[in-house]
Amino acid sequence: MAKKKAAAKQRANNEGSSKPMKKGSAKAKTESKKLPQVELDSAKEVIDNVRKSAKMITASSTAEYFAKNLQQVGFSSPTKAVLTTLKEAFDNALDACEDASILPDIHVVVEKIGVGTLKNTDQILIRVEDNGPGIDPDDVPKVFGEYLASSKFGRARCSRGQQGIGISAATTWAMQTTASGARVVTKKKTARKAFSCIVDMDLKHNRGIVKNKENIDWKKEHGTNVEFKMDGRVQLNGEGGLLNYLRSTILVNPHMSITYTLPEMQKTRVERVTSEVPLIPEATEPHPHTMILGEFLAHARLFGHIKASTWLKKGFSRVSDKTLQELVSLHKLPPAILNQAVDTMSESDIKTLYSAIQKSALQAPSTSSVLAIGEDGLALSIQRLGDIDFFSVVSRKPMIADFKPVQVEVAIARQRGVTGEDKEESVQVLRFANRVPLQFDKAACAIVKAITSINWKPYGLRQPKNSLPIGPYIIAISVVSPFIKFKNASKETVDGSDELVEEFRRTLMQAGQRLSRYLKREHKADELEQRQQHIEQFCPILVETLARIVNAPENRKVKAEEGLAKILARDTKGIRQDLNVADQRLASYLQDNKKHLSGFFADIESEEAAAHSERDLEDGEVDEDVDSDSEDSEKGSEKSAKKSKGKASKVKASKGKKAKEKNFKKAEKPAAKKEAMQEPKASTKKSEAPKKAPTKTPPAKKTKPKAK
Amino acid sequence: MARVEGKRIAKKDTEIISLGKDLCEKMLGELERAQRPILRATKCALDNSIYNAKIGFLTPGDKKVSSELNVSSVKKMTRAIFMLEILLRNVEISNINTKRELYYVVKGYVKHEAKLRPLDFTDQSESDSVIDFICEMMEAYREELNCVADDRGGQTYSKNLIVTEKEFDGNEAVVDLSLLGTAPYQPRNRPQNLVLQAKKKIDFCIIIESQGTANTLVANGFTKRHNCILIGSQGVPSNAVRAWVKRIQDQLSVPLFFFGDLDAYTMQNIFRTLKAGSAASLIRNSEFCAPDVKFLGVLPEDIKKYDLVDYAVKENDPAEARSLKKARDALSNDPFFKDKKNKELTGILDWLVKNKRRCEQQSFISVDPRDPQMMEKIIIDKIKRGNYI
Repeated sequence: MAKKKAAAKQRANNEGSSKPMKKGSAKAKTESKKLPQVELDSAKEVIDNVRKSAKMITASSTAEYFAKNLQQVGFSSPTKAVLTTLKEAFDNALDACEDASILPDIHVVVEKIGVGTLKNTDQILIRVEDNGPGIDPDDVPKVFGEYLASSKFGRARCSRGQQGIGISAATTWAMQTTASGARVVTKKKTARKAFSCIVDMDLKHNRGIVKNKENIDWKKEHGTNVEFKMDGRVQLNGEGGLLNYLRSTILVNPHMSITYTLPEMQKTRVERVTSEVPLIPEATEPHPHTMILGEFLAHARLFGHIKASTWLKKGFSRVSDKTLQELVSLHKLPPAILNQAVDTMSESDIKTLYSAIQKSALQAPSTSSVLAIGEDGLALSIQRLGDIDFFSVVSRKPMIADFKPVQVEVAIARQRGVTGEDKEESVQVLRFANRVPLQFDKAACAIVKAITSINWKPYGLRQPKNSLPIGPYIIAISVVSPFIKFKNASKETVDGSDELVEEFRRTLMQAGQRLSRYLKREHKADELEQRQQHIEQFCPILVETLARIVNAPENRKVKAEEGLAKILARDTKGIRQDLNVADQRLASYLQDNKKHLSGFFADIESEEAAAHSERDLEDGEVDEDVDSDSEDSEKGSEKSAKKSKGKASKVKASKGKKAKEKNFKKAEKPAAKKEAMQEPKASTKKSEAPKKAPTKTPPAKKTKPKAK
Repeated sequence: MARVEGKRIAKKDTEIISLGKDLCEKMLGELERAQRPILRATKCALDNSIYNAKIGFLTPGDKKVSSELNVSSVKKMTRAIFMLEILLRNVEISNINTKRELYYVVKGYVKHEAKLRPLDFTDQSESDSVIDFICEMMEAYREELNCVADDRGGQTYSKNLIVTEKEFDGNEAVVDLSLLGTAPYQPRNRPQNLVLQAKKKIDFCIIIESQGTANTLVANGFTKRHNCILIGSQGVPSNAVRAWVKRIQDQLSVPLFFFGDLDAYTMQNIFRTLKAGSAASLIRNSEFCAPDVKFLGVLPEDIKKYDLVDYAVKENDPAEARSLKKARDALSNDPFFKDKKNKELTGILDWLVKNKRRCEQQSFISVDPRDPQMMEKIIIDKIKRGNYI
């Protein structure tokens, strides 16, 4: 009760104190009089300033913008921050090596070094070291501490980085979470010592500040080592995991060696599979049809005092004298405009020129500026993804989609050792744009839309309606173009036009056809095995039951068993032929593509040949026995052989060494069973032979099938 | 077995055994000669059904289903021959099994002998289809192979009927239905060995679709007031009901009436099966239907005449939509409904399809809810006035 009373009193006091003072009341007047005038004036001034500044329009630096909107460039969560930092540093390292025609050898370390300042985070150290040409010390603050400072911006090349945002964003994130910038060690081939420093960011002025500069000894002849300490969370597995990123990068960079150390994992080294540095095609001049008016105007200002006709021919691709003539004759462009100097042309003249050239029928832009991985590279690289059972790769020719050169490549691989529920999961999709893995926002990506729009069932994959196919497969699809359209600045999803999606679909379908060849062959082998199992399981029961019902003596039973074995052996003939055809096609494909698949299948070719000859031998024997076969069964097998020939002729396929071994084991298994079925046949010969030519039957012939 | 005008003489046990052995002998001989045995069975489907009003039930056409021994069919054939052996032995030793029991008999063999494991059934439907295949192949009733189903439906009430049953051991059992009180007589699944006798002239036999309605009528004294036989069919008539009604038709020559609902399912699945058999049992329809039975149930005109409560067919109900679709199919494909002699029945089915209405037998009670004998009165009135088809 006492407590209640006290609470009530308190409430009453509060109410009393919160009662507003009446305007102009005597009490209020006396209280205001008590404040010194100086304090009142200064308070007024502060309030005025605040009001003024709220209305004033101020300009922010690019760095300030990105620092406040880091989520737009891939730093939306601590987990993504770690991945994006690694990705940006890695891309820079690869681009640097390729620009200098150096075979990249990258060392990656990601480790937890403490507890993060942000909630539920760790302090993470990310270190990426390359053997690239090194960075000039003067450029170091620009590279790591300045937004939009790039050697690649607007160059229309198939480089990974384009705008010069990513690595500066990583420095920003590191500074904002741990108050320490990027630690850089870099050395050029010509330098005796390496340049070491810490790069911080001056966000206000969008520039890098170099601290702790020193020249140090470094064992490396040349290269760059960049290190970030930041708050983040490490996700190793899953689509957005570090491992997936590294695996994906390994796939599309066959020329790269990598050593990586990730938390809770041992140091891993993956060697390069090719020694050819991809030759990055030089950028071609822009195509007039890919430009909007503003770009056209800006482009004109770059060329100084030069005749418009010369500017058009030199500054653009696919513009010739004939084009200029057509502009005048067909599109009514005043010839005087072409003779003017571009720096003196009025905006209206440039607009007239622009609209005339947009109306002209120009040749599509050149596809020479795209850089692809190639089927050979993909075929070699995909084997580094782990225990791969089978794969098919397709690299389409470069084409023009939406007036932009583009090339699409696809690799489909089946993983071995995936069991249980994992086998029922959707396929793993690896997306790449200019050889950079895309790991987030899968559903919105044009690549995934293309995959789900295909009916995968004819290619032997299971697929729920309008979904990704199911099974232990990896579908890697790479699009390379100097002008890839992304849906956002963090470059996570490709924004594809219908034309581009159709190109994705075509490439995927082509790879699917190659895949189906292998799966069909596997299906045939399974079918044969199943049939042999049926024969082995049911024949003895059928004959024994029949003999029991009619009280047949033992000799009738034996004879019936032999007869049944003969009948059913005919049934497997067709499928054996199909399997042989499939085997031969696969073998010829391996032979044709020996160069691409060097060493991959070499040690199993002899086994393959042995298995073929063994089966051929068996089939030959079966043929002898089934001379009196019914016509329809022979027709059936011919038909099926023709059918498989027709289908398989379009297909190329390849598969893993172990898979090959496994399948040949599979093929051998039926052969062994076939042998078991031949035994009664041999005894038929025994029983029939004496009737025909009792003295001429050579004993060696009879024992031949058993000797196998 | 020879069929004369659709009639088929039931096979004796010895015939069944020799038929089975002949079949196996032929198969074994063909195997010895390395020839593919071919098993042929009568095709039991609507497209192989023939209806002749003079015969009165659906008979099989010439179509056969053949199964040639090959790698794909060896499993089915081995299972069939294995099951045949079990059935033939059952006939030899006069043992009887249900389909479910036969499923477990095979499972028992599989359990005790590892090499028979490939024959194992994963569920009963597999063994049922093997049994049906054997029946169709031998043109024998399942009951002739001593495979009987549950004796469902057919509870019979009468004050004037005496049933004499010849048992397997040769003894005779005489059942006077009038001494059973309110308990019904349950006919066996194989009623061919029953002999019927009427204590005094029986005026009619009525088969009621709903077992509950049949019980109500009996409880209210229907069988006491009328010299009749009253049977509850419990929905689609089982083999027992079909053979029992056929027995009554053949031995007592009394008018037979079916009292049921007015809907497509009743007309097509229940009444047609009782009157003319079914496509699935083409080979045994001669023994398992009563062509003389008339439809005394709710007729379309009764709805207006008695102001009955009726309902619209719920087309969003899968079962009702299915029976409506089946009715449409029946009108164009079923030889029974296509026959001119059955045009009145066809007319009812057509009316049901067009109007999409249904009316239940119990709705006669609504004519006078205070009169417990209302339904009885209407039935008798309809019989007297010949208001049936």
